[in-house]
Amino acid sequence: MNLKELNILLADDDQDDCIFFEEALGELELLTHLTAVHDGEQLMQLLTNETTIISHVLFLDLNMPRKNGFECLSEIKQNTKLKDLPVVIFSTSFEQEVVNTLYKNGAQYFIRKPSEFSQFKKIIFHTLMLIMEENAPKPTQENFVITVQNSSVI
Amino acid sequence: MTKINKSAEDLLIIANQELSFQKEENEKLVAKLGFANKELAFQKEEKGKRAAELGIANIELAFQDDEKGKRAAELGIANKELAFQDQEKGKRAAELGVANKELAFQDEEKEKRATELGIANKELIFQGEEKEKRAAELGIANKELIFQGEEKEKRAAELSIANKELVFQNEEKEKRAAELIIANKELAFQNDEKEKRAAELIIANKELAFQNHEKEIRAAEKEKRAAELIIANKELAFQNEEKEKRAAELIIANKELAFQNEEKEKRAAELIIANKELAFQNEEKEKRAAELIIANKELLAFTYISSHDLQEPLRKIQTFVTIILENENKNLSEKGKYNFQRMQLAAGRMQQLIDDLLSFSRINTTDHKFEKTDLNVIIEEVKTELKDTIQEKHATIEVAELCTANTIIFQFRQLMYNLISNALKFSKPEVPSHIIIKSRIVKGSLLNNEKLSPDKSYCHITVEDNGIGFEPHFSERIFEVFQKLHGKDVYAGTGIGLAIVKKIVENHNGIITATSELNKGATFDIYIPAN
Repeated sequence: MNLKELNILLADDDQDDCIFFEEALGELELLTHLTAVHDGEQLMQLLTNETTIISHVLFLDLNMPRKNGFECLSEIKQNTKLKDLPVVIFSTSFEQEVVNTLYKNGAQYFIRKPSEFSQFKKIIFHTLMLIMEENAPKPTQENFVITVQNSSVI
Repeated sequence: MTKINKSAEDLLIIANQELSFQKEENEKLVAKLGFANKELAFQKEEKGKRAAELGIANIELAFQDDEKGKRAAELGIANKELAFQDQEKGKRAAELGVANKELAFQDEEKEKRATELGIANKELIFQGEEKEKRAAELGIANKELIFQGEEKEKRAAELSIANKELVFQNEEKEKRAAELIIANKELAFQNDEKEKRAAELIIANKELAFQNHEKEIRAAEKEKRAAELIIANKELAFQNEEKEKRAAELIIANKELAFQNEEKEKRAAELIIANKELAFQNEEKEKRAAELIIANKELLAFTYISSHDLQEPLRKIQTFVTIILENENKNLSEKGKYNFQRMQLAAGRMQQLIDDLLSFSRINTTDHKFEKTDLNVIIEEVKTELKDTIQEKHATIEVAELCTANTIIFQFRQLMYNLISNALKFSKPEVPSHIIIKSRIVKGSLLNNEKLSPDKSYCHITVEDNGIGFEPHFSERIFEVFQKLHGKDVYAGTGIGLAIVKKIVENHNGIITATSELNKGATFDIYIPAN
């Protein structure tokens, strides 16, 4: 495991979810730094700003005001400077077709927001572990969706 | 004197000599001067020539000077012109610099707009796909309507053929009636002719009777002939009667035909009315189809709302409850903890309900793409998905070699998943679950079901279990939405699973039946068209 501080970027317009995320991170024994933005435009401004510290992973909600997660994902993957940033989709709903599209568009993982806080922690921890693996290859489509079931293995 | 003269003479001679010498010298000088003069004259001429040449050269030079003066003036003007052009070029260069910056700025703006257009394009493509899906659904509904329309047109065409047939038969009967009238007239004419001949015979008889008196010898013979004629007359009269009878019969037959004609015309009129009725019903059905399309769109909107907006607050409730139970555990009374747990259960059920409703509505709306499917592969996938439950229930799933079928793969997978997970859920607690899955291709005529067409082949799939089963009279009801046979505390569930199963089978133009008795397991039979 890597000892350096992990810069995490969270884009979610939902205040409650941001709090859950922050609390979950706080309870994990990881050296992390969280930056949260609340809409797609803010996210893209932050990412394209030269002075911003480089994030190691982006947790991206789909349903956001001004610019939704799909648009942000496309912009990130088309930007040569940003395209290597791992994007983890973080969504309430789960529709297979939507998930397939996101995989094709270059998202790294898909997480359906769990309804239990302990699962919330578990799934974030598991995802961060996967992200921190050096040179981790892009997951296959079967491993694209991270669920509480496959998180509990770790 | 002489001496003086002599000396004078000598002097003179000397002077003479001197003079001649001087003369000679002078002559020589003159000659020399002549030369010198000629020389001078020549030189003068030369000088004159050179002076003339110089004059010309001077004129030439003066002209050249003028020319140079002019050219210098022209160069002065040209220089000013160049200086002015230089200034102009400087200005233009400055303007070009400004214009270049402007262009660079516009290029950046264009790139920005191009990326915006790229995003907009993707959005449009996504929307385009959505619209194509809906268009495909509408296409299917349209095809259905077109098919109904065609069926009605066929019936209308059959009716118009039947009408034409009737008209043709009418015409034929009218022809025959006309022929009968002609035949009647013919018979009447023949009757007249025969009566005429009878009258003639009577006259001839009288003639013969008269001749009898005169020719008594031949009387006997003639009486014989008369008797014969009378017989012939009677015969003719009899034939007349017969013909009249036939004529009467023909008139009756004619009336009969006329009556039948009227009946057929009535039926033709009725058919025309029935046709109009059908056309009206067609229009009504088209209207209703259009209404259904609108209703479908509204349902889609509802699906979207339930998938996104309902799930969100529910999940929050669940998460906050878990945070409270985790972090405030010691601050809660036992009663408080219990109530929170009940709240969690209720929220969980609601979540399940929303999920199930969503998949139920998705089955109705997603596009129907049929593919050749190996059912063995589908069962294997479902078994992998249910691996944990299968282990927990100590279940064995026995799969006989299954056929391939034309299915909407993801729907069929859900169908098999629902049936197998149902069989596992409703297993008997003390008996390991045993599920048998079989399939065969069978002719519709052998299946004895009025919903199946006898001349088609069907893929018949059976899922049989040894679970708790159900009373036979529930065999239809279990397929209805929200119908449950057990309390939710006994068997969890929303009562949507089998409704989804039925919907999927119907999407495959098939039927499903359930057979069971309480505590004797259940058997589900699916029939979908083969190929």
